[in-house]
Amino acid sequence: MTEEITMKKIDAFAERGNEITGHETHVEAKNFSLFYGNFEAVRKVNMQIPKRKVTAMIGPSGCGKSTLLRAINRMNDLIPSAHAKGEMIFDGHNIYGKNIDVVTLRARVGMVFQKPNVFPKSIFDNVAYGPRLQGMRNRQKLNETVEQSLRRAAIWDEVKDRLSANALGMSGGQQQRLCIARALAIQPEILLMDEPTSALDPKATAKIEDLIGVLRENYTLVIVTHNMQQAARVSDLTAFMYEGVLVEFGKTKQLFTNPKNPQTENYITGRFG
Amino acid sequence: MQKSSSLIMSNATGQRQRMGALLGQGFLLFITSLSTFAVFFIFYFILKDAIPFFKLEGFKEFFTSTAWFPSGEPAEFGALPIFIGTGLVTLGAVVVAVPLGIAAAICLSDLLPFNVRQIVKPVIEILAAIPSVAYGFFALVVFAPLLQNHGGAILSAGTWMILGPILALLVVVLGDLINEKLESKKTGWVVFPILGGLALFTIHSLASRLAGVEISSGTNALNVAVILGIMALPTVVSVSEDALQAAGRELREGSYALGATRAETIIKTVIPASVSGILAAVILGVMRAIGETMVVWMASGNAARIPDPWHNMLQPIRTLTATIAGDMGEADHVTGSSRYHVLFAMAFCLLAFSFVMNLASELIVKRSRKKLGKS
Amino acid sequence: MTLETRKLLDKAFSGLGLIAIGMMAAALLLILTPILWRGSKAFIFKGTIEHRRVMLEEFDRGNTDRFPAEMEKAKAAREPIYQILADFKAEMKTMERSTRGEYKSAYREVEQAITVLLGPAPGERTPVLMRQRYGQMRWDRTQIKLHEVLFSEEWDYSIPGAMGVLVETPRIEQFAGTKLEPLFHYMEEHIDEMMRPKTTFYWQFITDKSKDSHIFGGIWPEVLGTLYLTLGAMLFAIPMGVIAAIYLCEYAKEGRVVSFLRICISTLAGVPSIVFGLFGLAFFLNTIHVSDSKSVLAGSLTLSLLILPTLIRSAEEAILAVPRTYKEAALSLGAGRWHTILTVILPASLPGILTGIVISMGRAAGETAPIIFTAAVSVGAPLKIWETLNQPTPALPWNIYNLCTEHEAVDEIRHVQYGMVLTLVVIVLLLNMAAILMRARISKKLRG
Repeated sequence: MTEEITMKKIDAFAERGNEITGHETHVEAKNFSLFYGNFEAVRKVNMQIPKRKVTAMIGPSGCGKSTLLRAINRMNDLIPSAHAKGEMIFDGHNIYGKNIDVVTLRARVGMVFQKPNVFPKSIFDNVAYGPRLQGMRNRQKLNETVEQSLRRAAIWDEVKDRLSANALGMSGGQQQRLCIARALAIQPEILLMDEPTSALDPKATAKIEDLIGVLRENYTLVIVTHNMQQAARVSDLTAFMYEGVLVEFGKTKQLFTNPKNPQTENYITGRFG
Repeated sequence: MQKSSSLIMSNATGQRQRMGALLGQGFLLFITSLSTFAVFFIFYFILKDAIPFFKLEGFKEFFTSTAWFPSGEPAEFGALPIFIGTGLVTLGAVVVAVPLGIAAAICLSDLLPFNVRQIVKPVIEILAAIPSVAYGFFALVVFAPLLQNHGGAILSAGTWMILGPILALLVVVLGDLINEKLESKKTGWVVFPILGGLALFTIHSLASRLAGVEISSGTNALNVAVILGIMALPTVVSVSEDALQAAGRELREGSYALGATRAETIIKTVIPASVSGILAAVILGVMRAIGETMVVWMASGNAARIPDPWHNMLQPIRTLTATIAGDMGEADHVTGSSRYHVLFAMAFCLLAFSFVMNLASELIVKRSRKKLGKS
Repeated sequence: MTLETRKLLDKAFSGLGLIAIGMMAAALLLILTPILWRGSKAFIFKGTIEHRRVMLEEFDRGNTDRFPAEMEKAKAAREPIYQILADFKAEMKTMERSTRGEYKSAYREVEQAITVLLGPAPGERTPVLMRQRYGQMRWDRTQIKLHEVLFSEEWDYSIPGAMGVLVETPRIEQFAGTKLEPLFHYMEEHIDEMMRPKTTFYWQFITDKSKDSHIFGGIWPEVLGTLYLTLGAMLFAIPMGVIAAIYLCEYAKEGRVVSFLRICISTLAGVPSIVFGLFGLAFFLNTIHVSDSKSVLAGSLTLSLLILPTLIRSAEEAILAVPRTYKEAALSLGAGRWHTILTVILPASLPGILTGIVISMGRAAGETAPIIFTAAVSVGAPLKIWETLNQPTPALPWNIYNLCTEHEAVDEIRHVQYGMVLTLVVIVLLLNMAAILMRARISKKLRG
């Protein structure tokens, strides 16, 4: 495939990425590209992520879906060679613009990672980490915040008696829910989830999926998954990415039953990927 | 609370934050370079005090004369015997440490089961941890009298220990080769005993000749070389073991799959693949031996003359490090005499040598890593 | 090659490897055994009554009630000796001039040997040197000295070219027929009563000051000096090393600067320790004058440079071993870079950093060459903490060297030398054991 043809295709699908459902937009990518050195991992994506909905991103591994997700709270800054082009609009500002306070950005956009990454501290200290960062020192307030976050992450009943135990002693599924609680404790508006169930067994996965169903009422959720059934089960909208390009973006039901793009169809019917 | 906080910082805040970050990073860089630039300080200050010596006395005498009388009238600074002494003990240490160290490394990486390795590793760590002055004490107080009183017996026992295994291997290989040439099964039973007998005779005659040797002084080059060899062992073992491990399991499996025995796998595929790492290990071992002070100062005899003949390990010698350690107390550094500066000249030689060696080993390791593809 | 020989070769090859491992272990054993065995005798030995007397008189330690009675008994047992000596002296006066001359020098030798063994005779003036005020304090030394009383030693150089041969003749033959003759039998038979050996556990060897250049007492100044030097070195090296490691791992971007810094660090690691010593002298003392002459401060600074590379490398390793996900988690919660390092990365890498610190401590405690010109002296009192800024100190590694090469009575104080070596080796090995155990726990944690 020549370079020219690729570019044309990108334009065509980007248009489609714009015509979405009419909900209030929370985050918007405008002609957004992300490079690792010379490699363009995300290519000129245009996408509007609606408020208080679950948006799933699917695609074969290496398609740039995780990179796009991590671009929303600028976690890619950790990689020295990474740099962005285009805009990512959040709260009226381009978060890659000048004078952006990355620390505040990350405090407003929570994230849950592929593998549960609890700190080797007590359960309480894990959840209290974020609030403490924001200057919360009052013990009672901290207790309230921790309890509330753990309740929201549906893990309170399991850990309420051992808040001072080391978090590494919990099972994988519990650890992941603790990570969700930890992210909720900073009271984010958006919660990014990067394949949150890929390291978990089916039972723990089901619990996390239930949790996502509850959380959608208060948060904007963006979830990357390689599991299409999961995307179909939990999300309102689904984006299909391939080789850094946003191929198709639409209502989940529609995308899975009646994909507009033949590539999407090939992927969801399992012909490649 | 946090929700209302703005994403945008004011220009001033942003600048302040950037400045803070820059300052912090600058501070870290400063501390880091302080500790790393100590190297330059060392080079500068050693060289600064070494140059006056070469200005006063020139190069020729220092490197070529054999007369070392720094306190004589006139003083003579022929450091050749000291260089030769240093080289001699270092060479001796290498002869002890390298074969033993590589064999032990192979054993650790390829032969021993995991739980035995867990016992052997601390042995190596303890060998590395024992302070050099304790080694020196052992060399002077225990080993030197032993050498002096039972020198012959120790030498002949050493001959058996070293030559025995090597000749045994040689006999097997040679016998096999001869058998192959003869292509007759019957002769096989004759060839091995003949070769074995020959080997035994060689060792025995050599050992009994050495058994008659009397060592007039236990503090000599041999003593120091053996102890330095033991001290350099841990370095050689651990670095070459790392190199052998880095060769990878796939390589070994490939060789085994072709029907090679373990020895053949190691000799023909693993060692060639990790030869550069082993070379680096040898270099580091040499550096350890050449830079050691206490053992040579205590147990080398400190005689600044070339042994006769030059390879005679049973005579006392003197090394650069021991000369620096021993003479600095007497050197009058207030007036800055040649006696003081000559020691810095020696230190500079040591420093330059170890710098070059270190660079060489780094380069070798880096190149080999590239070759292995870092996979 | 036939399959059989290939298999045989394979076995022989494995054998070679095992021999190498065996020789290594044997070398370790060979070196440690005399140090441990004879070193322990500085702490546990058969002490004579003279030892107890020294303890009581010089160190205010011991049983003041029972000791005088015991001393009386010993004195009573020694009494006949002085009687015999006096008798023989009287006999000598009656001798003819020529025979008297013959006996006189031989008698002087006996008298001297007895003084060395038992201490000054009763009624004699107290000698100035402390070492002459007491008899032998250890039973093993007592027996050597007793032997010197009983036998006269001469070196025979009659064979030209060969080394001299030691000839021992019993003194009892020399003095046969005189009044001195019974002395030798008496001494041999009653040495127990005269010296009253008792198994002694002298743990205060570590905490006692030394008196009369280590002939009496313990090694506290050396132990304390080593402690000061080690802790001082750590004081400078730990912040520098950890900060450098943080910078290299968390801040520096891989590139020219970092690879240059790394080359510097590895060069620093390869500098011979004696060169560090010279540098310390030329820089810390002669250039920036941290103190007027040798001092603990200068020694600590020099040692800290020596251990820096080890410390940086181990701290770097520990920091790199912290899973990247911890960092991501902290950052995603809105933590700044510094905060992430302080609250997440450093705590998680602490055990690894500690392991490196402990190993470096062992290294700093055992190094001799860097402190020869910067900090160490042969004799000195224990320092007060503020005196470390401008005063030199005795230290275990230096004094081991000094006692076994430059001391005026090298053979008399072997036990002190061994005791010092043992103390140093035990300190260093304990630190290393701690490190090994810590590392085992870390790897267990990382695995499970």
